[in-house]
Amino acid sequence: MNRFEHVYVLNVMSDDHPGIVAAVSNAIESLGGNIDACSQTVLGGYFTLIMICSVPESIDPDALAGRVLEAGAGGFDFRVMVRPSRGLRRPVTQESCDRFVISAFGKDQPGVVRRFSQYLAGKDINIVDLYGDRKDDEFVLVGQLEVPQHWDIRMLQTDLEQMGLDLGFTVKLQHENVFVATNQLRLTTAMGPAN
Amino acid sequence: MLRTDEILSTIHMLHAEHLDVRTVTLALNVEDCAAPNVEHLCRKLRQKLISRASRLVEICDRVAAKYGIPIINKRLAITPASTLLAGHGRGAALQVAKTLDDAAAECRVDFVGGFTALVHKGIAAGDDVVIQSLPEVLANTHRVCASINVASRKAGINMDAIQTVGHVILKIAAATAAQQGFGCAKLVVFANIPEDNPFMAGAYVGAGEPEATINIGVSGPGVVSSALRRRLALDNKLTLGDLAEEIKITSFRVTRVGELIGREVAKELGVAFGIVDLSLAPTPTVGDSVGEILKMLGIAQIGAPGSTAALAMLNDAVKKGGLFASSSVGGLSGAFIPVSEDAALSEAVAKGHLVLEKLEAMTSVCSVGLDMIAIPGDTPAETISAIIADEMAIGVVNDKTTAVRLIPVPGAKAGDMVNFGGLFGSTPVMEVRNSGASTAFVRFGGRIPAPMQSLKN
Repeated sequence: MNRFEHVYVLNVMSDDHPGIVAAVSNAIESLGGNIDACSQTVLGGYFTLIMICSVPESIDPDALAGRVLEAGAGGFDFRVMVRPSRGLRRPVTQESCDRFVISAFGKDQPGVVRRFSQYLAGKDINIVDLYGDRKDDEFVLVGQLEVPQHWDIRMLQTDLEQMGLDLGFTVKLQHENVFVATNQLRLTTAMGPAN
Repeated sequence: MLRTDEILSTIHMLHAEHLDVRTVTLALNVEDCAAPNVEHLCRKLRQKLISRASRLVEICDRVAAKYGIPIINKRLAITPASTLLAGHGRGAALQVAKTLDDAAAECRVDFVGGFTALVHKGIAAGDDVVIQSLPEVLANTHRVCASINVASRKAGINMDAIQTVGHVILKIAAATAAQQGFGCAKLVVFANIPEDNPFMAGAYVGAGEPEATINIGVSGPGVVSSALRRRLALDNKLTLGDLAEEIKITSFRVTRVGELIGREVAKELGVAFGIVDLSLAPTPTVGDSVGEILKMLGIAQIGAPGSTAALAMLNDAVKKGGLFASSSVGGLSGAFIPVSEDAALSEAVAKGHLVLEKLEAMTSVCSVGLDMIAIPGDTPAETISAIIADEMAIGVVNDKTTAVRLIPVPGAKAGDMVNFGGLFGSTPVMEVRNSGASTAFVRFGGRIPAPMQSLKN
């Protein structure tokens, strides 16, 4: 639920350095606005931020972007994109899903992410979080997935393992409860933990 | 949402450090299979095992695949065979054992435990049938495991039973001489036997247990030693307290995996979830070893002074981590030190660092007892009984489970190597010092009374 009537989604990309969030939040506050939700990631020295903010008075998205840019640029390569939020929610699928984690390790080569993501898309499996990292010629890919319950997990596992064999990758598809059980204090459930 | 570092750390534990679930054991009450006619008894027994356990392996395989965690053994445990065999003879014992063996094979389970007699205060008719039939039963079955409880905190130590068991162990060894006395590896002699133990050879279902439950034995020596190695590489100023903390955290993670698997298998099978046994159970694979952990803790030669203290710390940390992870802890729950099944322990015996007496001291602070120890085939029965009596005394006085699984290897002398194969591993035959010097003590017989500590009411 947003605090004010006029809601915007704001995206910032910049070289990573201290003070970016402070600058962005200052700009929002100067409009009497509120930050309703935000998430940031730093990858390869680059900072990216997605934020849902709401303000009491309507403002042109470009003007809001300009306000944030002015507050934050300070000589850095700083880009801002703003658009009015339409309050999007992920479409609810017809059937419930279970949470699984795919992990793949192997010698890096172009097309790894494409091959796996294409397969998952073809099965209507949603990727809710994705991590990839190349180190010393090795690539590791970890994805958190929502898998529709009608799929036979062992069939998916066999397909993915075969795809891994073709690429020279070790691929595993495991229910997320095993990761919850080994790392977190919350309870696991047969359907995956409540989020 | 899970964090990537959490996912990567678990994947490392599963795939690089070989975390597995050592056993899923279906515990079944079979008392309702009793019948005056042995053929009738065996038909009921077979029917019950097949109807209850035929889906166990398939369910375990499915759950193991879902979580990406191997389940190494699928097993059955039953209420003591002595109850079924009361009023029958030794011929019936072999028929019952073969029925168990065949049903276990049909269900594709690895072992069936519960060929058991509880004789801590005295030997009843059914118990005697079980004990006397053991040489024949263990020589003629593959999957049947036996246990005898000869002592308890409340009853004391039944020296008459121990005297008998000493002779029976030698007979089992003789009956399985072609397999280097391997039949003895399928018999455990206990003090304070746990009623919900999922590990073999001592698994059985005690009085008060439900009709059917799933009990889990986790593994993890390899995971613990990897965690210690990683921590030691990061920091060279660690104290033993820091290392205990690392073991505790690892034990928490391992136990949570066990409980996750156990609850799901139980649900799918439509039976109650019983317990997670927190034991660290080694395998002969290099690295998956409790001895290796002792080395990580700075004991360069296992058996050297400090070994008992290090093992006590390990055992305690495993319990503390596991207790927080699960409210359903049971079984043996402690570190195992089965000599032939643990490559580092076996090596320590071969090098002369680890002797029987030091092992006995170590068992006073960890789980089980003198386990998977090969001894010379000419060890007198009374000496075997006396070794058992010593171990039972540790259990009774300290109010803990202790056990003995000795294998007198026919024709073998101290120092000879024996190989039992697979998870049972290999070991040098250990020297038994002062052999024959306890005969008069054992021949007194009777019962060593329960200690003062038993009178708590």
